Amino acid sequence: MKFNLLAIIALFISVLSFTSCTEDDEPKTLAAGEVSIEFDHVFGPNQLPFNLNTEYTHQRLGEKMTFSMFRYYVSNVRLKKTDGSWYTVPESYYIVDLGVNDGTHLHLENIPGGEYTDIEMMFGVDSLRNVSGAQTGALDPAKGMFWSWNSGYIMLKAEGTSPASSDGSFAFHLGGFKGEFAVPTVKAYSLGKLTVDGDREAEIHMVANTGRLWHEADGLAVRSTTHMPGAVAKQMTGTFYDGIVFDHIHN
Amino acid sequence: MKTYGIIGKTCLFFGLTVLLSCQGDRDTLQMRYPGYFPEPEYTFGNNVLTSEGFDLGKKLFYDPILSKDSTVSCASCHAQEHAFADHGTALSVGVGGKMGSRNSPAIVNAAWQTSFMWDGGINHIEIMSFAPLTNEVEMAEDMNHIIQKLSRNDLYRSSFQAVFGKPKIESQQVFYALTQYMAMLISDDSKYDRVKQGKSAYNEEESAGYSLFIQKCATCHPEPLFTDYSFRNTGIGSKSNDTGRYKITLDDRDVYKFKVPSLRNVALTYPYMHDGSIRNLRSVLDYYSEGIRESDLLDPSLYKNGRPGIFLTEDEKDKLLSFLNTLTDFTFTTNPLFAE
Repeated sequence: MKFNLLAIIALFISVLSFTSCTEDDEPKTLAAGEVSIEFDHVFGPNQLPFNLNTEYTHQRLGEKMTFSMFRYYVSNVRLKKTDGSWYTVPESYYIVDLGVNDGTHLHLENIPGGEYTDIEMMFGVDSLRNVSGAQTGALDPAKGMFWSWNSGYIMLKAEGTSPASSDGSFAFHLGGFKGEFAVPTVKAYSLGKLTVDGDREAEIHMVANTGRLWHEADGLAVRSTTHMPGAVAKQMTGTFYDGIVFDHIHN
Repeated sequence: MKTYGIIGKTCLFFGLTVLLSCQGDRDTLQMRYPGYFPEPEYTFGNNVLTSEGFDLGKKLFYDPILSKDSTVSCASCHAQEHAFADHGTALSVGVGGKMGSRNSPAIVNAAWQTSFMWDGGINHIEIMSFAPLTNEVEMAEDMNHIIQKLSRNDLYRSSFQAVFGKPKIESQQVFYALTQYMAMLISDDSKYDRVKQGKSAYNEEESAGYSLFIQKCATCHPEPLFTDYSFRNTGIGSKSNDTGRYKITLDDRDVYKFKVPSLRNVALTYPYMHDGSIRNLRSVLDYYSEGIRESDLLDPSLYKNGRPGIFLTEDEKDKLLSFLNTLTDFTFTTNPLFAE
């Protein structure tokens, strides 16, 4: 009996120590933190740094253009964990706005701690929120990104001046969520490994080329305004969204 | 309290829901409508219907503070005595005397509407008011400025706080409150309704008119809401450059189509058609009977025996008019709950 008791104690101790060993080997639990997405903007094939109120020449069109406004919706961000599962950011709607301070920097708060390999986001606003009545936050119609007369979000607004335009200005309000001209586009990017752990920096850098609005579209001499959903909105946003690429991460 | 479509203070009547719905000392309201009405399109959802919210919406509806220069309110062009259509004007006048291009529609049973405006461009009642509030030829105001003005006003600030329990007024709350008022503008006590409910009976002429109506008009204006909410080309639009539904869908087949309006209270909503171009109801019947001209995109239901138009004798027009007058609901147009 005595032997048996000793054996049981020994076994118990070894189990305990085994357990504690496992704890030491496992990665410690990572704390929830902020993931930020910075959109850097460039213009044209030479990737000139893009700013408002600066004149650029569109290479394909040979037209000069100076932007006073550039805004677009990014929504429905999801992050893929190393185990292959996805974390969906709740109420994930943002306006990238080059006209406001820190407006190109999206702050995704309270993202669960862990390692992420991919990010998915939608450029534009999903159809459901276009038909769901009065919204708040980035989707507040008071933000000036909603058509009052033809319900739906203006998913991209680009305005400015150009000597190529007949009246000297241009204004493109592009959107639409229905049928063949639906603008919203989901894109996924591989990140390598992004670690979220409390206050540790987790920043994703994307690059968007504003000149790509006219990658295939007619120039400003032909068309200097569009304020509706349709083929033009689909084409211009399509080539712009296509050109939004992942650049690097800061961990 | 029986016929205006609302039962107040339902908190008193329901068990568990009482606890939930009476939070914040707000009294919930319920939509009430006759059993022969279909389910409404809008059922409030996140927008919790309360008597305080309804009152706030009503105050906003009648307040010109919502317009750019405080001269025009929603009620300026949507008058209760005209079933919330304009005061007999073809095209409504907005801030600075600017003229709109379409006739102000009545606001009647809006909670059943599937889309808003003559072209159906607005897809949800909650954001319906965004268009007239901001349109240059209507109230011409900016949403952010409206919120600033309301936030500066002590009464509004405390009302919004009481209804929505949030520290700041946001556009959603303005839209929600206006929706609470507008969605409750339920008209269901016309003579037609009382006949339907067995409380009254048509006279001989009304009865004949009803039969004619079912035969000749009910394809597009079916009971009990007297519209099928579709878009149709009646030939009226082709006289102007307003292409109607086409502007929204960009579908060639929708050129000159406009929404079929409800005929409830139709006797009060003159002048008629999307452009207010027909002055009285008899002339509308004349138009449908003898005025329609052949055109490519004319609605197929307006052809009878291969010819455009729904022919009516003068006697039939008299009878139809008698029936159409039974759709007038004075309980609705005089209900003090809806008044300023």
